Formats: sequence, structure tokens, C-alpha cells
Amino acid sequence: MSTPASTSAPARIAELWKRIGTVLAGDSPLQARIAEAALAATGARDVTLYFREREAWIRAGEGHGGVEPGEVPDPMPHGIFRREDDLWLPLRAEGELHGALRLFGLPDPEAPESAALLAFLLGSLVGAHRLARQVRDAEFELKSRLLELESLYDLGLSLGGQLDLSALADEVLFRSISLTDAGKGTLVLFEESGAVLLERSVGGEVLAGRDAAAWTLPEGGVINNAAASVPTAGMKLAACEKCLAVAISVPGRRLGALAVADKESRDGRVLDFTPTDARLLSLFANQAAAAIETARLHKDAIEKERIERELELAAAIQRQILPRDLPVVAGLEIAAKNVPTRQVGGDYFDFFPLSGGRLAFLVADVSGKGVPAALLVSTVHAAVHLQIDEAKTVAELIGRIDRHLQKYAATRKFLTCFFGLIEPDSGTLRYVSAGHNPALLRRASGAVEQIKATGVPIGMFPNSSWKEETVAVERGDLLCVYSDGITEALDAADEEFGLDRLARLMSAGAPGEICEKVFDAVAAFAGDVPQYDDQTLLLLKRS
Amino acid sequence: MSESCKVSSERRGDVVILWTDGYINNQGGEEIAREAYVHLEQGARGLVLNLEKTRIVNSIGISILIEVLEKVMDRKGALAFCGLTPTIDKTFRIMGLAQYAEIYPTQEEAIRGVDAKTA
Repeated sequence: MSTPASTSAPARIAELWKRIGTVLAGDSPLQARIAEAALAATGARDVTLYFREREAWIRAGEGHGGVEPGEVPDPMPHGIFRREDDLWLPLRAEGELHGALRLFGLPDPEAPESAALLAFLLGSLVGAHRLARQVRDAEFELKSRLLELESLYDLGLSLGGQLDLSALADEVLFRSISLTDAGKGTLVLFEESGAVLLERSVGGEVLAGRDAAAWTLPEGGVINNAAASVPTAGMKLAACEKCLAVAISVPGRRLGALAVADKESRDGRVLDFTPTDARLLSLFANQAAAAIETARLHKDAIEKERIERELELAAAIQRQILPRDLPVVAGLEIAAKNVPTRQVGGDYFDFFPLSGGRLAFLVADVSGKGVPAALLVSTVHAAVHLQIDEAKTVAELIGRIDRHLQKYAATRKFLTCFFGLIEPDSGTLRYVSAGHNPALLRRASGAVEQIKATGVPIGMFPNSSWKEETVAVERGDLLCVYSDGITEALDAADEEFGLDRLARLMSAGAPGEICEKVFDAVAAFAGDVPQYDDQTLLLLKRS
Repeated sequence: MSESCKVSSERRGDVVILWTDGYINNQGGEEIAREAYVHLEQGARGLVLNLEKTRIVNSIGISILIEVLEKVMDRKGALAFCGLTPTIDKTFRIMGLAQYAEIYPTQEEAIRGVDAKTA
């Protein structure tokens, strides 16, 4: 300390600052600049700089004199003091101890006033530097919180329109890892059955999906830190020191799990996750749960829409096939009606006016529902129209239709069918009933006879044959052919409408009126109970 | 995504392009800083960080990138980013990196931008 004692205080400060100022202006780390400035200002042989960090002393910088660093006195005296050959300068600012400077080999050991000045200047410098760092850290922290809020907002917006579960999982996992400073993370989603639907990991697997599926963490619960003592049954954590995990769930159902592990620090230590991290992860999991549920509902809605479209298509096919007008045939009164259900079954009826005033007709019921059934009806329709002029008998026609279906039908389905050919003049009815419900023949006398099946359903077994039967239809007799949607219509008590009720509705009236009565009776019987089978009724009365 | 961030670089005149692949965390940030400082010591003045293969950055990684940015600015150089995901782009803007480093959509635009600033 070579500053003359007689110099005024401001001059001494100016002189000292001049000496250390040029050194402090360099671009090496602050601690190195302070050490160099202290050497330049004092002419000491060597210097050691200590910073006070979290109640501990850290050697921050030193000169190049090769002097062994000494033990830092603890507690540090308030003012400058000597210890052996060293002069110790506590560095304080605003009453707070920030560090200490140990000067060794001073040329002028008797200059406490200048040393105090140096301690004051460097203490202020370290204090200001610390304050600047604290402000910067606080600003960084503030921006980090803002980033968290923005991320939550963005994630909400992003997930709101995200229907791809894979992209959704990535978005949630990436943000969770990033904002908690985790070293790694895993997101697992489950199917409703509990099987793993999707599993994503970054930086290494934190928990295996199969283990997470057995996870018994309560809904909304969080496990935090100390991976070794995670209080969960069945969940195994992969190699990690500390973890934070939450369930992804909606009320009553767990959709998955989200876990992050090993929170990083700048100095390489693994930190505890904070309550803020836990809250953030829970919020992410909640947003993910809502988005996953939305995606699932959307998928269901699309599936429902697809089915609706398929049913509309099937209904359109069916409408095209059913006759728009009833034939007018001398000697016969005819009525027919089909009421399709939402499920679109495969009922089909048709009329074929033939030469000599004859009339062929059929009522068929195809197995299955929807588009496959409608396509089979379409195939049957085409086959009947193609073959009806070729076949000599009803039985031959049915055989031809069967072979056509065995050869061309796209799906392995079958149908029941009542096919009749009536000569109005004679009243002779030739028919084949291929596994169809018994037709009813109400005699003019009021007696009702059943006309039972004469063979198996068409398309059911290869090389089948059908027996053709004949029945005489007298004037005033009424033939009733129907599909099982009529007799098997259910009421609220799960009881079927039945053949007896249908038979009782057969009367001496006009077929058109009887037809409406039957449908009214079935509707009244079923009430609000939804029906899943088409209802078809065909009535022929010989006049 | 790979467990550790890989960094590669190429010097083109006064500008160095650094490509990252993976998570920019403590380890990834240190890799970037190490590679950048080697080039700065060798006289490079402009840095372009192409992050097209990075989808996650944490706060430690950001603080290291700020240190690299400060070092570049101390040397009167320029730093630019390109290939950022929308999330990382927003993160950099909120955390203040975009205040002193430009963000470009493409690498070529970033090189031109840094070239112009260091010319």
C-alpha cells in the first residue's frame, strides 16, 4: 500500500481506482479481474479471493505467486485483520459479507487505511455484481414463470384441436420435460381394457407401460422425488434418482400416466422437483386427459357417422329395389308394405306379372343387416329377374337363384324366401317356402291355415333342393306372406307380437285395409320399444 | 429422440453453423458452448445455430445459450437461430434470446443475416 498517508481521501480513492480500474475493464471472469486488480493496487506477491456462497466459502480466484491458499477464518472478523504474513480484507457491501481477499507478501504492511479503501471498493464491486446477477436470475425466473403460463395456454389451444393421440402425447411430454428441467420423461396411455395404447419416452424410460398399467396411484395424485421409495404397487421406475409422476385421468377412468425424472441443475446435480413442478405436471396431465377424451369422442363420432352413412346407403339400395307400384292383375286384390328399421335389415318383396294373367311374387328376408344385407338383396333381385323367364317351375327357379348366390354373392349369407306363382283364373298357387315363416291362408270361411316351409333357406348349404307345393286358393281366400319383423316385433315386456295376433287380424276386408291394420297393431304393440328388423307384409286376395 | 444431444459444426468464412440433434439441456448446452467457443477462439465472429433436429430445450439449456450469446456479443459478433419448432421459437422469444439473436426460418437466411451483421 504505497499511497502516501498525507494525501486527501478523494485523491486516494481516485489513485486507487485508477490503478485497479484498467484491470477491471478486461473481459476475463470477474473473480480473475478482482484478483489481478488487488495485486496491481497493492503490489502484494500473491492474492487469494474467496466468495461467500450459501453460508460456505469458495475459492474464486488467485494470483500467480504460487502461494498456498490459507484456511478462511470462520467467523470472519468484521474489519481488516492480519494473520501471520497475510492481510485479510473482508469484502462487504450494504452490511452483507460477500467475500474476502487474502493478500500475501505486501511491500507496505502498515497501510490499513488504504487496505480499508480497497476492501470497500472491491466489496462494493462484488456486491454490485451479485446484485446484478440476482436481478438477472430473478428476471430469468420471471420469464420462466411466464413461459409456464404461456405453455399452459398454448397447450390448451393446441390440444383442443389435436385429434392425433401420438402428436398429442409428444406435445404433452416435450413440454413437461422442458418446463420441469427434467433429464427424461415417459408418457403412457392405456386402452379401456388396460392394455398399453401408446408409450413415449425422451432421454430414457422412466416407467414401463406394462408397469404403469398396474399403477394404483389415486386419481389426481402425485408422487414426488425419492424414486426408490415411490409408494405405488406394481409400478417400477427405471434407473433414475428422483421422479415426479401423475396419473392422466378423467372421472372414473385412468387414461394413462405421465412421469418425469432427474431435475437438472447447472452444476450437474440432480435436484428435487418443486411444488411448482408438481402443480405444472398435474395441469399438463389434466389438459392431456381432456384432449385424449375429446379425441376418443371424436373417433366415436366419426365411427357413428360412418355407420349412419352406411345405413343410409343400404336403405337407398333397398328403396331402389322394392317395387314402387303394385301390379294390377285381374282376379286378384293386392297389398304390400315394407317398413325398414334404422338398422336396415334385408327384407325384399317383389311381383312378376307373367303371361296368361299369372302373377309370381316373393317375400325374402336376408340374414344380417346394413350394407352387406342390402347388397345380397340386390344380388337376389338381379338373380330372380335374370332367371324367372328361364325356369320352368318355381322349384327350378329357387335352385337357380341358390346356385347364382353360391357363385356370385360377395358374402357368405343366406336368405329365407317365400316364392309363389298364382293363376288367378284357377286359383292354383304353386310355391316354395325356403325356410321362411309360415304363410297364412285365410279361407273365405274364416279358417286360417298355415303354409309351412318346403326346404332350407337359400344359400345356406351347397347343392340344396326345394320341393314345390301346390295349394288351391278359392275366391275370397286371403294369402298373407310376411317377414319375421312382423311376428317377432317386441313390446316393452320383451314379448313377441306372434303368429296368433297376426292370424286374428286376417279378415274378410280389403287387403289394403288389412295391411294398414296389421302395421297399426304391430306399432301399437311395440310402443316406444325400438325394433331392429324390417317389417314386410304381402297380401293377395282372390276376388 | 436420442438420449444425448449431438452437436456438429462447419465453418464457412467468418460464420460457423452448428447443428444440434436432441434435447438441449445441461449436457446439450455444454456441447454447444464447447463447440462454439472453439470456433470463437479460432476467430469466427458469427454463429448460426440450426435446431431443426431439436424439439426440447430446458431452462438450463437456455441459460447456457445466453452465455454463448453474451460471449459472441462481447466479441462484437452475431448469433442467429434457425430451424426452430414453433414451441422453441416462442420459448426463445419469451426468455429474451430473441432480443439479441435473430431467428430465421431457414439456414441460408440465417447465414446471410449473420454475415451482414459481422461484415
